[in-house]
Order: sequence, then structure tokens, then C-alpha cells
Amino acid sequence: MSSADATMESPGHPGHPEAGKAREAFRAVTRDVAWVAEAPRPHKAWLAALGVALIMLAVGLYSIYVLVTTGVGVWGNSNTVDWAWDITNFVWWIGIGHAGTLISAVLYLTRQTWRVSINRSAEAMTIFAVMCAGLFPLLHTGRPWLAWWMIPHPNDMQMWPQFRSPLMWDVFAVTTYMLTSILFWYMGMVPDLATFRDRCAAKGDKLRAIIYGSLSLGWRGSARQWHRYERAYLILAGLATPLVFSVHSVVSFDFATSQLPGWHTTIFPPYFVAGAIFSGFAMVFTLLIPARHLFNLKHIIKDEHLEAACKIMLGTGMMVGLAYATEFFIAWYSGNLFENFAFINRAFGPFWWAYFLMVGCNVLVPQAFWFKKIRRSPMIIFVLCILVNVGMWFERFVIIATSLARSFLPAQWSYYTPTRYDVGLFVGTLGLFFTLFLLFFRYAPVIAISEVKGAMPEAHAGKKH
Amino acid sequence: MSALQKSLHPDEKYKAGKLGHSLQRIGLGIAAVFLVISLVLGATHGDHWKRFLYSYVVAWSYIFSICVGVFWLVLLHHLVRGRWATVVRRIAEAMSMAFPIVFVAGLGFIIPLVAGYQDLYYWAHPDAHDPEINHTLVHKLGWLSPGFFAFRYVVYGALYTAMATYFIRKSREQDGNGDPKISEKLRIASAPAMIVYALITCFAAFDILMSMAPKWYSTIYGVSFWGSACVGGFAALALMVLGIQRTGRLTHSINSEHYHDIGKWMFAFTFFWAYTAFSQFMLQWYGNLPEETVWYKYRLFGDWQWVSIAILVGFFAFPFVFLMSRWTKRIVPSLVFFAVWQLVFHWLDLYWNVMPSYDWQTTFHGAAQIVTGPLTGNTAYHHVGFSPVDITVWISMIGVLLAGFGRNLHGNLIPVKDPTLGLSLAHENL
Amino acid sequence: MTDDHTHDPADHGAGYGQEAGPLYGVLAEYDTPGELLEAARKVRDAGYTEFDCYSPFPVHGLDEAMGIKRTILPILIFVGGFTGTCGGLLLQWWCNAYNWPWNISGKPAWSIPANVPIAFESTILIAVFTSFFGMWILNKLPQAWHPFFRNERFNHVTDDAFLLGIEARDQRFDAEVTPKLLEAAGAIGVEKVHLDPDPASRHMPKWITAFIVASTAFALIPFAIAAKARTSHSTEPHLHIFPDMDFQPKYKSDQPMDLFGDGRSNRGELVGTVARGSLNADDVFYRGLEHSEAGEQWTTGFPRQLEINEQLVKRGKNRFEIYCAPCHGYDGRGMGAVPQRVAATGGVWLARNLVDVSNPVSITMPNGQLFNTISNGYNTMMGYAAQLSHADRWAIVLYVRALQRSQNASLDDVPPDHRSGMQMPEAPTR
Repeated sequence: MSSADATMESPGHPGHPEAGKAREAFRAVTRDVAWVAEAPRPHKAWLAALGVALIMLAVGLYSIYVLVTTGVGVWGNSNTVDWAWDITNFVWWIGIGHAGTLISAVLYLTRQTWRVSINRSAEAMTIFAVMCAGLFPLLHTGRPWLAWWMIPHPNDMQMWPQFRSPLMWDVFAVTTYMLTSILFWYMGMVPDLATFRDRCAAKGDKLRAIIYGSLSLGWRGSARQWHRYERAYLILAGLATPLVFSVHSVVSFDFATSQLPGWHTTIFPPYFVAGAIFSGFAMVFTLLIPARHLFNLKHIIKDEHLEAACKIMLGTGMMVGLAYATEFFIAWYSGNLFENFAFINRAFGPFWWAYFLMVGCNVLVPQAFWFKKIRRSPMIIFVLCILVNVGMWFERFVIIATSLARSFLPAQWSYYTPTRYDVGLFVGTLGLFFTLFLLFFRYAPVIAISEVKGAMPEAHAGKKH
Repeated sequence: MSALQKSLHPDEKYKAGKLGHSLQRIGLGIAAVFLVISLVLGATHGDHWKRFLYSYVVAWSYIFSICVGVFWLVLLHHLVRGRWATVVRRIAEAMSMAFPIVFVAGLGFIIPLVAGYQDLYYWAHPDAHDPEINHTLVHKLGWLSPGFFAFRYVVYGALYTAMATYFIRKSREQDGNGDPKISEKLRIASAPAMIVYALITCFAAFDILMSMAPKWYSTIYGVSFWGSACVGGFAALALMVLGIQRTGRLTHSINSEHYHDIGKWMFAFTFFWAYTAFSQFMLQWYGNLPEETVWYKYRLFGDWQWVSIAILVGFFAFPFVFLMSRWTKRIVPSLVFFAVWQLVFHWLDLYWNVMPSYDWQTTFHGAAQIVTGPLTGNTAYHHVGFSPVDITVWISMIGVLLAGFGRNLHGNLIPVKDPTLGLSLAHENL
Repeated sequence: MTDDHTHDPADHGAGYGQEAGPLYGVLAEYDTPGELLEAARKVRDAGYTEFDCYSPFPVHGLDEAMGIKRTILPILIFVGGFTGTCGGLLLQWWCNAYNWPWNISGKPAWSIPANVPIAFESTILIAVFTSFFGMWILNKLPQAWHPFFRNERFNHVTDDAFLLGIEARDQRFDAEVTPKLLEAAGAIGVEKVHLDPDPASRHMPKWITAFIVASTAFALIPFAIAAKARTSHSTEPHLHIFPDMDFQPKYKSDQPMDLFGDGRSNRGELVGTVARGSLNADDVFYRGLEHSEAGEQWTTGFPRQLEINEQLVKRGKNRFEIYCAPCHGYDGRGMGAVPQRVAATGGVWLARNLVDVSNPVSITMPNGQLFNTISNGYNTMMGYAAQLSHADRWAIVLYVRALQRSQNASLDDVPPDHRSGMQMPEAPTR
């Protein structure tokens, strides 16, 4: 790529000053995003965060080791409360992943150009969240090394997977979601990896140039290739949207197809999807608010974007609230004694504290977002986002553990306490998530460079309209 | 994703002129003629107006749902600072202002109910108070009593009317001064309006449609109703927009880009409705609880299964596959075809929701009193039995709806001084 | 327009002190996306086809300006999605409804509501794969190298540069005219790009090809091992990678065990206990014994648990012919297959004649004693208690009695309507 080839230069026309400004703007975007990956030494805060994350991950690995070698009995699950932290965490993580796809796909389809500053990180977050989520169904089987039995293959046990079960639907849905998210994320990164490639090559950093070069598949920005790329991107966005709805709906089917009061209710699919978007947005901004501060990205991840996210959280939080209200109303309306009891028990039974935490964090906390002052204060948003995630965790816990602990047969009623391995595994997944996210932030293009450029007003420079 | 703007074409005809009056007259004419025919058919049906009133509820829910669907666009557009829909928003606002007329028309079944008509809703029948046969019903007869029901009906009507009025009034005010602060006000108002809208739509669906089978319940019912309402709403909007353009108005401003977007919403809501309807069905099928499955058992066997299949294929599968392509949404004859198609199947879906309850009645076999129909899932009463009064009442209510639309199609058909109009005119799809 | 200080475009730039390979094409850089659009239009209008534009982001309107035909990718994706739907349904039907159906919670084997979610997910999955891989394949990526990468300006495409490149193989390409056209369209720089003089550098280095082939071959090794293992036999025991519960610390039958004095893990019955269901208290039924003041006697009737009917006789016949007829013969006269065989070899095997009136031991024997003989044997006859249930043994007793009656009957014992063919024919008279 040296200029030692023989070319003939014709001086052509001098550039326009406005054109110069536009090109400077594009270069600025490239620089501002690329320096994060090109900085010779990582930021101290990044190292500290990575250290903490690795410690948490180690705790998780130990918990997994004990679980796999000893058995599921090390958890607090019992015959009564047979799903507890394991499935709560699964649903929580999958829900978090949904915001990424929503930001990438749905906001793309609805032409919300402000998404371009956050979509790459959000997509990465989705993938890491789904990885964390996938651990739980795998491990809670008790014999995770036999998980491959769930893939249909000829065998001599005369068994095929039970496709009519929501748990199998989960396998397909989460796998599809995982693969789609990875493909969508990677596809979006290819032009930016090409940018990184060219920068490394220009600097003479051969190793990185080869790595980024291989990953960017030889991308050269050809318009004919952009044409197909754009169509594929649009269609993937169009496919990812129903996928997002379907994945969390299938997860909700795990509960709703049963007959347990508090679980069996038809509103679960859209209610879970709304809740997923709610908690997912909260997690995206829990990550991006400190990141944009530490890595000087406030001019790309702007305050207006934070404000838009707050409104989305308020909206989806209200949808969750509407679902609570509808469930309550219909529980009374149905006249079903067990349904009635299930809802009274949620508020006044042994897990009342979890219920009020849930209502407080999911219904009350987002009401703060009505106020512009709060929407424009990143520190407060950060705290509220964490509370929202806590609330959504407790929502799943309340649904699962409370309903199971007080089901049809009073002789079966019991209480549930998590063990250190339940907590350890959850902490471990947090560690895994943050580790992966920190690594992504350091080495990959964290903002969709080409998309940001395409969304800037300078992208229309020189057009005669 | 272009930030291009266009200005209103200098020759553009955007004044409604006599259009609204004509539409109103036509609508009232249709409504009156078909109402008379329906009354005659209803009186001669031999069931003391029962069939007439059931058809009335179906048809009323139909026109109500179209207003609900169209109003959704208005609210959403303001809430998210939408750009593409500005050119059609005034039309949608005018269509939403049919709410008061719709709710007045609904008195046609509310008043008999309050006056003591027993055969429309089972919970208004004295049998409902019998705790032996209806122990899951008696506790909610306070909620499901004609008086409280009618009160809620009035509240819904008042709230819808108030919200629709506010949005169109402010929007028309902006025609005069082009004040961007009005857009701000509308945006801020749209948030609480959405909340109220969501609540009253869900509860209206619970009240008017779900309580037809009062011992049955489904938490997603309101959401599913809203989904189908939006399909109908966007289909009606498409037809209204194209109809207005046929009169020579707005021909420069609204083009295939906007048709494409209306078509996209129709497509999206067709899918969303199918998603909610499937969730409701599959979950109740899977759980297999008799108190829930009775509703579906009634609709999936006997004659009703054909209606169910027709709705699955007609309201979902066929339009879904064909509305996927961009061309079916951009070409006028195709869009018209699918809009009309969806409007017909939307009615059929509401019919399917309501009419099976027609067959419940307390009958006497020999000396024994048997409560039959959807409440017990007695498959002996599975006949559909389309009746001409079903269609004539439907057409009559469509006339009412057209009259309601026409009443508000006056003045500017486009928000001429809306700050986002330029963006909307220049709107392009990928 | 260019002026006099251009170099002669035909000069291959030997002034750079390097040999240049054949001309690949011409690259022109433009300052803004708008100018690139204009240039693309001019190039398209001039009739060029082998040209392309290069930009850091997709420029809106460039597809049209270049005259790019719409890609067929959406159609491929639709086909892919449809394949996914069919595949998902087929998988579920074949596995759960056809090949090995299980009844799980009463759900039908082919249950469409329960099969929809997976069919939906597989639709999306295959459509996504088609979209992703189809797009890269149609774009002919990954592509390790492109000649334009030799150009310095080109390496800024991914940053901020907007280039248009025309390849020399285009029919309209002219080494002098083409650069002038590009310049006239407003280029800020036009450069020729030559291929590397060394033709070998245009192909993938051999070691990369070798590496790819080798790693593909290595990657297939695990599959080859698995294929061999699945299609061949082995006398080795299975590998237990995860022992699971394969080796359990428990004793299996007939294993030696130190704990008990007799060294066996099998334990017999505990003295003084009876296994549940083995009490067999009824002496009549289980042993054929009756109790009276005179002491124990063989029962002469049949146990009250059995209904004496034709069915029982038939059962007895069935069992007799299996277990008893080999010795006693089908007619009960004691010359069954075994005695015949023994006699044929010169030996003697005595099986009692059960129906002989002249030696009526079996005829006069009470039922209970017959039962006891069947159960426990007599002399060389083994007992059949292990092979025949108590009821079956009583059935045999009943059949034996029937045999005894039938082998000593007269024509008068036969009902009149069954007598035909049983009369001895009249002796022929001469």
C-alpha cells in the first residue's frame, strides 16, 4: 500500500473550503472512535474495572465448578421452588440483551438516526448478555454435558427432543437470537474494521493491520457492495424485529403455558417484551454513561440521546405497569380463587418485600423521567438505570419464586433462600459480561463509525437539491 | 434518512371545501337507509331483537376500533416527533373526531341494555345472579351491571372525544400561526394521552367484547383488540387518503412514499395482531384449563372452525405474505385492495369474537333447564348462521363512521404551517 | 478543465524509478458526496459499466446515479425464510409425529399451535443466514486483495475520501479520454493505477492456500472419527467421558458380598414373612384343600372365585394342549408325542390315561387332588406350578373333566342338532 506504484497525477481541482470542513468532520469521527482502540496503554479506569470484573468472573467459575462436580443440590432450589435464581437470571439477562437488538433494528426501521452513536455498543451488549443468559438453562439441567441431547440427531435411545415443550422452543429461540445478534453485529462492524485496518496499515502496525484486515474481509467501500450491504442490513433489521418479540415471548411461554396461577396468563408475551426493552435500555446506559465520560465520547453519545432513552424507559415502564394493572384486574374478574390468592400473596405473603421492591423500582422510579431536569442529568440517570435493573430482576423473582412457593397444594408451601453458589454464579455472569464488554470497548470499534458519518449533515455536502 | 425538505406545491389543493359535507351526507344517507332495513330484518328475525343487537355490537365495535386505530397514529406521531406522517395527520385527526358520533351511535345498544334488555349480555340476565350455576360470575356483577357499564361507556366516549378534540383543535390553531410551541405542547400532551388511551382501550375491549362471554377472561384481550383496531385504522386511513386524492386534492403532497409507510404500518399491525391472537390462543390451548378453553372450543369446532380458518388465512397469512414486498404497498390499486381486504376481515374477526355468544340461552329440554352455548362449550350449538341483518347493520354503521369522518373534514386537509411539513413532503423510503 | 501543467497521461511514470505493470484503471477523488454523485451520473451517461464509487458510508442517491440494478438478495432471503418454515415444521412432524411419537401430557403428536414457535424461529434463522452469507457472497467478499489498494488515496476511503474508479477493461475506456472525463466532473485528483509488475503477486500466496486446505482437512478429522465410530463395531467397552452414574457403589444380583456369611448379595426371604400379595390364604383356590370337622380333604367342587363357563373350558383346553398333551395326548389317553417317541426308540414312558373308565384313577380323583397333581407333580411327572397360574390349573382340571365326559359319552349325550355325521353308517347289505 505504498505509493511506489506508478501513477500519474493530474492536479484536478482544488477542494472547496466547506468540503474541507466536512472531510475534517469525518476524520474527527474516525479519530475519536479509533483512539480508544489505538491508545498504547489502556486507561487506568479500564484496567481497574477489568480487574474487578475478572475477580467476579473467577467467583463465577468456582461456583460453576462446584455445581458441575457436586450437583444442583448446592443451589437453594427445592421440590417446591424448583426454579429460582437460575431462571430469574436467565430471563433477566435475555431481557437485557433485547435493548441492543431494539436499538439496532427497531430504531433503524423507524428512522431514528440518533441510534448510530449507541447501536454498536448495544449490539455487543446483547451478545454478551445472551452468552450469560445461556449459561443458566445449560447449568440448571444438572447434567450440562448432556445438553447436546437437545439437538435433534439420530441416536439409539429412541428419543427425539420434545419440540412441543416451551423449553425446547427456548433452545431454538435463544440460539437463533444469539446467531442473529452476532451476525448483525459483525456485519455492522466490517466497514469500521476496515477503517481500523487502514489506520493500522498507514501507521505500519502490521500485526493489527492483518488481524483487522482479515476480519474486515477486504472491504473497500465500493458503492455496489454498499448497495447489497444496505439491503441486507435493512432486511436483517426487519427480521431482527420480530425475532426480538418472539424470543422474549418464547421465554414468557416457559411460564405462561403452565397452569400455575400467576404464571398462566395470556398477556405475558408482550408484557415480557416491554419489560425486556425497559431493563435493556437501563443496562445500555448503565454502561455507556461512565464509558462516554471516561473515553471522551460525549459529543457522539450526546445528552439528547440519553434523554431519548429516558423517554423510552418511561414508556416501556408504563407498559409494564399497565400489564401489572391488567393482571390484577383480571385476577379479580376471573373469580378464580387460586388467581386471587396468587396476587394477594405477592403483596402480602412471605415475599412481600420483593414485591414492593419490584413495584417501587419498575413503576415509581421511571416516573422521575417525566422531569426534564432528571432526563438531562447523567449521574441521576445512571443511578435510576441501576434501580430499574434491580426492579426488573425482582420482577422475575417475584413471578417465579413467589408463585412456586405458594402453589396449589398447601402441604407443598415453603420458603426459598439462595445459597452462596446461586449468588456466586450470578456474580460470575456479571463478571463475564463486564469483562467481555470491557474487552470489546478496548479493541473493537465501539461506535458505528460509518453509520455516524452517514447520519451527519455533512453526508449531504455538495448535493444539489 | 434524508434531512431534505420540500415546500408545499403552489398549485396544491388542500382545502376541503364541500368534501366533508358531501361525505357526511352520503354517510348519513347510507346509515339511515340501512338502519331502516336492519330494523325491519331485526324485528322479523323472531328472537326479540337479539340478533339485531348482537350485529349492532359487532358493527359498533368495528367503527369504534377504526377510530381507535387512526387516533393511534396521531398520538404516536406527536410523541416521537414523527416526520413522515405530517401530510396525512390532519386527515387522521379528522377521522378520530368521529369518536363522538360513534359513541352516540353506540347508544343504540347501550340504551336497551340500561332499559333492561336481558338477552344481549348474559350478565344482564337474571340467571347470572344464580350462584349455583354461576359462582365465578356473581362476584363481578357489580362491575358488570348495566348501570356501571353504561357509566364507563360514557366515560370512555368522553375521554376519547376530549383527547381527539384537543389534538385537532391545537393542530388547526397551528395552521394560523405556525407556532412551533404548539407542536411542543402537543408532544407533551401526547404522553399522558397515550396512557389514558391505553387504559380506556383495554377496558373498553374488556367491557364491550370480552364480557360477551363473562366467565371467560384473557389478560391480553385489550392489547389484541388494539392490534386489530390499528390494522383497521391504517386501512381506513389509506382509503380515505386515496379517496381524497381522487377528488383532486393533495395530489402533489401525498405520494407513494407515504402510501408505503401506511402500508408498512398495516403490515406491522397485521403481524402484531396475529402475534397477540396466537399468544392468546396457544397459551389457553396449552394450559388446557376448562374455564379458558371453552371460548376456543366453541370457535374451533363445527361451523365456526371455517370462520377461524378464514380469519387465520385472510386476516393474517395472505396479507402478511403479500404486504412484505415494497411494491404492494406503493402501487395504489394494490394498496386499495389490501386495505379493503383487511377492513372486511377485521369485521369478520370482530364477528368471530362476538357472535358465538349469540347461541347461549337457557333452553328447556323436556323439563330440565339447560344453560348452553359458550359458557358450557356445548358443541350442539355450533352453527354460525350468517344472517342478512349482520351485513345491513354493518353497512349502516359504516355510514355512521363516514358521516363522522365527513363532519370534521373541513378547512385545511394538511397542517400547512406545521414545522415538520417540509420533511414529510420530502419523505423518501430506502 | 485541465491546463498545460499536466503530465502526459501515456507516460507510465517511469520517473518514479519503478517498473509499472499493466494499467488496471483510473481513480478520481472528489471532495464531497454531492460531487461524487454528479461524477457518477456523468460516467454512467457516458456509457461506462465497469466502474464503481468508493465512500466511507453509503451515499444516498448513489445507487441511482450509477445505475445499479436492484439486488436479488431480498428474493433469496424470502426463499430462505420459506425453506426455514418448511424445514422447521418438517423436523417437528417427522421427529414427534411420525418417527417416534410420544404421548406427553396429552398434547397431540402433530400439534400446530405447539409447533409454531420453532417453525417461526427456524424461518428467521435461515432467512438471517441467507441474508448474511448471501450478501457477502454476492459482494464477492472476503476478497483478499484489490488492485486499487495500491493507491495511496484509496486507503482514505474508509476515513473521509470519496473516490470513483473506472477499470481499464471497460469497453469505453481510453487512457486519455477517461481521466479527462473524470476531471471535468470536478475531481480534485485523478490517478492511474497499475497492477504489480510481478504477475505472481496478483494471486494468493501459495502458503495461504496450503494453510487453508490443511486446516480444512484438520477440521474434518473429528467428523471422520465420529463417522468411523458410528459405522464400525468394537469389542471395547464404551468410553465413559463423564462417568455420570455409570459406576455406582451398589451391589447387583449374584455379586459376591462380604457382609453376609454366605458371601452372596442375593438375600432370600425372611423367615416368618410373606411378600405382599403372596399370602395365598384361600386353601381351596391355592391348594385344592377343604377344611371340615373331618380334617383336610381334597375339594370336590371348584373354587368360588371361578365362573364355570365355556370360556374357562376353552382356556383349560388351550393350556392342556400346551402343557399336558405332550405326554397325556390330545385325547387324554396317555399316548402323547413323548410316550410315542420313547416307544418308537424302544423305551417305555408311562403317562396316565386320564379318561379310562376301566382304570378310573383320574376319573374318581377329586378335583382338588387333580389340581395338586398338576401343581406338584406325581412320580416322574413334574409339577407345573411355576408355569401355570392357579386359575389356569383349575381351568385344566375343568377341561380334564370335560375330556373325561366326552371320551366316555354316547350318542344320546350329544344334543340333537349336533348329531349329524356322528351316526355310524349302516353296514352295507348285500
